[in-house]
Amino acid sequence: MRRRDVLRWIGGAAAWTLPARAQTPVMPVIGYLAPESPRPFASRLKAFRDGLAEAGYVEGRNVAIEYRWAEGNYTRLPALAADLAGRKVAVLVASGGAPAALAAKTATKTITIVFEMGGDPVALGVVDSLSRPGGNLTGISSLSVEVSRKRLEFMHELRPNAASFAVAVNPTSPTSGSQVRNLQMAAEALGVRLHIMNASTEGEFEAMFLSATREQAGGIVFTSDPYFAFRSTQLADLCLRYSMPAVTQSRDFPTAGGLMSYGGDFMQSHRRAGSYAGRVLNGEKPSDLPVQLVTKVELVINLKTAKALSINIPPALISSADTVIE
Amino acid sequence: MTRQRLGFGGLFLKYFLVLFLAVVIPLATNGISEAWLGYRDQRTRLEQLLGVEARSAGAKIQGFLDGITDQLGWLVQLPWTEEPDERRRIDALRLLRQVPAIASLTLLDGTSRERLYVSRIGLNRSESRTDRSADEAVAGVRSARLWYGKVSYYRDSEPYMTLAISGNRPSVGVVVAEVNLKLIWDVIAAIKIGQTGQAFVLDGPGRLVAHPDISLVLRGADESTLAPLREIREAVRRAGADVATGWDADGIAVAAAAAPVVGPDWTIVVEQPLSEAFRPIYAALWRTLGLLLAGGVFACLLAFILARRMTKPIHLLEEGTQRIGAGQFNYRIEIKTGDELQRLADSFNAMAAELAVSQERQERIAKLKRFLAPQVAELVDRAGDDDVLEGRRTEVVAVFCDLRGFTAFSAKVAPEEVMSLLSEYYDALGRIITKYEATLTSFSGDGLMVLVNAPVPVADPALKAVDLAVEMQLSVQDLVAGWQRQGYRIGFGVGLAKGSATVGRIGYESRFDYTAIGSVVNLAARLCASATDREILTDATVANEVNGKRALNPMGLRLIKGYDEKLLVYRVSLPEKPSAT
Repeated sequence: MRRRDVLRWIGGAAAWTLPARAQTPVMPVIGYLAPESPRPFASRLKAFRDGLAEAGYVEGRNVAIEYRWAEGNYTRLPALAADLAGRKVAVLVASGGAPAALAAKTATKTITIVFEMGGDPVALGVVDSLSRPGGNLTGISSLSVEVSRKRLEFMHELRPNAASFAVAVNPTSPTSGSQVRNLQMAAEALGVRLHIMNASTEGEFEAMFLSATREQAGGIVFTSDPYFAFRSTQLADLCLRYSMPAVTQSRDFPTAGGLMSYGGDFMQSHRRAGSYAGRVLNGEKPSDLPVQLVTKVELVINLKTAKALSINIPPALISSADTVIE
Repeated sequence: MTRQRLGFGGLFLKYFLVLFLAVVIPLATNGISEAWLGYRDQRTRLEQLLGVEARSAGAKIQGFLDGITDQLGWLVQLPWTEEPDERRRIDALRLLRQVPAIASLTLLDGTSRERLYVSRIGLNRSESRTDRSADEAVAGVRSARLWYGKVSYYRDSEPYMTLAISGNRPSVGVVVAEVNLKLIWDVIAAIKIGQTGQAFVLDGPGRLVAHPDISLVLRGADESTLAPLREIREAVRRAGADVATGWDADGIAVAAAAAPVVGPDWTIVVEQPLSEAFRPIYAALWRTLGLLLAGGVFACLLAFILARRMTKPIHLLEEGTQRIGAGQFNYRIEIKTGDELQRLADSFNAMAAELAVSQERQERIAKLKRFLAPQVAELVDRAGDDDVLEGRRTEVVAVFCDLRGFTAFSAKVAPEEVMSLLSEYYDALGRIITKYEATLTSFSGDGLMVLVNAPVPVADPALKAVDLAVEMQLSVQDLVAGWQRQGYRIGFGVGLAKGSATVGRIGYESRFDYTAIGSVVNLAARLCASATDREILTDATVANEVNGKRALNPMGLRLIKGYDEKLLVYRVSLPEKPSAT
C-alpha cells in the first residue's frame, strides 16, 4: 500500500515536471491580421520584425506569430479577427489599413490591439485621441490618407494644362468619404475638375481606366486605400497599357512601373508597429503608448515610365522627389 | 575559577581594550576619512562628467537646430522681385526633401507678404501675397534675425515649433518654417550617458521637447508625464555645483546635470541611474568597509593574543606567589618571556628555594636544639649533615645530677610549689648546660643526664665536665640556701664518669632523643645516687684527667651498685666562696 503511494507520488511529480519543462519556453503569441496575402506583405513583414527586434523579440525564439490573411477579401477580416481574439493572443496586430483595425476593435475589448493604417484613427473612431488613445488600442498612422490631396497637386503640376483628373475611390473603404471631400476642396483650390470612379474589386480596374481615358482626364489620382496599394503591379500594367499617368500612395507602384507615388513610408510605419507590439509584450499599457504618426512622407517618381508616357517631369517635382527611378 | 574570571574582567580586559583601540582607532579614522574624501572626489568627478555630457548633448541638440537654420539661410540670400520666383520654389521644395524635420515653409518678401508656401501635407501656395506682418514669427524675426517660437503640440501629441529667419537686409524677406520636433528623436536617442543613462529636452515652461522614449513626447502636455521630468530639472537647478539627484518617471534614483540649449531657451537634462553613476563610489565604500572589518578582526585577534601574553605571566606569578605564600616552597613559576616578568618569576623561584632551605634548616635546628646547646645545634647544622648524630662508640663524660629529699618534699607541698621550684632549678641548670655546650640527653622529675664530648667532640672533656658539675652545684646551692630558709629540706648531688659509650639518636618518627649507652652511664648514675648534698663524685678516669688542675679529694674505695669490685671515688672540692657564675 505504502509502496504504491510512493510510486503514485513519483509518477505525479514526473507528470507535473514534464509538461512544466515543456512549457518553460512558452512564447507569447502575436496575432497578426492582414488584409492581403503574404507575398505583397513580405517587405512590410520584414519591417515589422525589425521593429519587434528593437523591443527584444525574435519570431520563433521568444515570440510566436499567428498570421491571418484575408487574401484581399476584406469582408473576411472580422471573422479572422474574432478567430485570433478567441485564441487569446497576447497582442493583436491589425496591419495594412483601417478595415483590419476596425475588425480587430470589434473582435475584442480586452486584448491589446496595435494597428497600422494610413487614415486618421481619431476620425475613424478607432481611438479617442492621439496622445491618450484610451481603450485597448494604439498604433501607427502613416498619413497616407491625409496627403491624397497632395497627389492631386503633383498630378496637376505634372499636367498643368489638364482641366480634369480622374480619382479612383474604393467605396468600401471607411476613409473614402473624407478623402473625396478633401480632394474636392483641393480641386477647387487648383481650379480643376474631378472625375470620381469607384472600384472595389480587381475586375473593376479596367473599366476605371477606360472611363478615365474616355473622360480625357489628365491622369488618375488614386485615393489612399490598401486594396489599391497592394495591387500596384496590376495598376502599373494598366497605366502603361492605357498610357495613363497615375499616382498612388505606395512606392510599390512606381517600382512596378507606375509613374508616381506619394504617401507615408510604410517601412517606417510597420517597423514602429512591430516596436509597439514588442512594448505591449513587455507589459506596457496601450493607454501609455500614444498613437504615432510617421514622420516620413515620400515622393517616388519613375522617369522611365514618364519617358514611356512622353511626359516631361518639371524640375521642381524632380527636386522634391525622395526617390527617382531612372 | 573566580580568579580566572577576575583576570579576564580586570587586567586582560584593560590590555585588550587598549591594544584593540590602539589599532582600530587610527585604522578607522584613516578608512573613514579616505572613504569620505573619495566619496567627495567621486561626486565632484561625476558632477564634472555629467556636466560635460550635458554640454555635449546640448551641443548635439543645438547642432540639430543649426542644421535647419543653416539650410533655411539659403532661402534668404537674394532680394524678391515682383515676378514669381521659380528658382526659389525649387529651392524650397529641395529643402523640404533635404530636411525631413521641416513640415512646411512659408517665404515672405521684404514687405512681409506671403510669396510661397510649401508643405508635406497641405497644398502648396504661390504668390498669395497675404500680408503676414502681424504674425508673431514675422514680428519676432524682424528684431532678432533668428526667431524661435514656442513649442506646441499638433493634435495634442506631436511637438512642433515655428522657426523664422531673416536675411541680412529686409528686401531678401523672411522664411518661416514649421519644424516637427519629433525628428530630434534620432539625436536624443543616440545620446547615451554611461551605459543606461539618457538625456531629454524641456522647453522654458517645462514642456517635453525630446526624449528617447518617443511615447512620452507624444503624450503632449500631460502633467503626470512632465512632473517627474520637471522635478529633475529643478533638482539640478537647486544642486548648484554639486551633483543633483532625483527620481525619474519609473521611480529610479538618478544623478542628473543640465545644460542650456541657447537659441530656443531649452534645457537639456542628462541623467544616469545612481546605481550606475555611483558604482565606483559604492565599490570604494564597500572596499573601505571590508578593509575596516578585516582590520577590526585583525586588531581584535592581535589585542587578544597580546593581552593574553601579557596577563598570562601575571596570572602565573599571582598563582605562584599564593602557593609559595601557602608554604608550597617546592612550587616553581614557569615563565619564559625573556623579559622583566621572567626575571621576576626567577626571583620568586629563587626566593621559594631559599625559603625551602631555610625552613628545612629551621626544622633541623629545632630538632637538634632539643638535646644540643643552641650554638652546638647551629654548628652541627652548618656542618650540613647529621652524621655526627649517627650511632657510634666514643669516649664521653656522663654527668648525672638530682635533688636530695625531693620526693618527700613533693609529697608534702602543693603542686604549684613543686613546679615553681623545678622551674627555678631547671632554669639554673639549663643556662649552665648551654654555657658549657653540653648535650642534654634526658631529664625526669628532679634528675637529668648530660653528655660531654658527644656528639661534638670538645677539648679536655673531663675538665669541662668537672667545671660544669661545679658550676651546677654552686648554682643549685644558691637556690638550696633559699629553699632551706623556706624550710624545705632539699639537697643537690652530682655524679660524673668518663668512659666509652655508644652514642646516637634513638626514637621514632619525629620524636628523637640523643642518648648514650654503656657502663660509664651507669657508673655516673650510681655515683650521683651515692653523692650527698653539696657533693660531686667522679670516677678515677675523670679524676686522673683533671688531676692537678682542679682540687679533688679521694674518697677511697666504695662499693658501687652493679659493680663487683670496689671503685675508687673522688670528690670534687667546691670553692669556698660561691662565685662561679
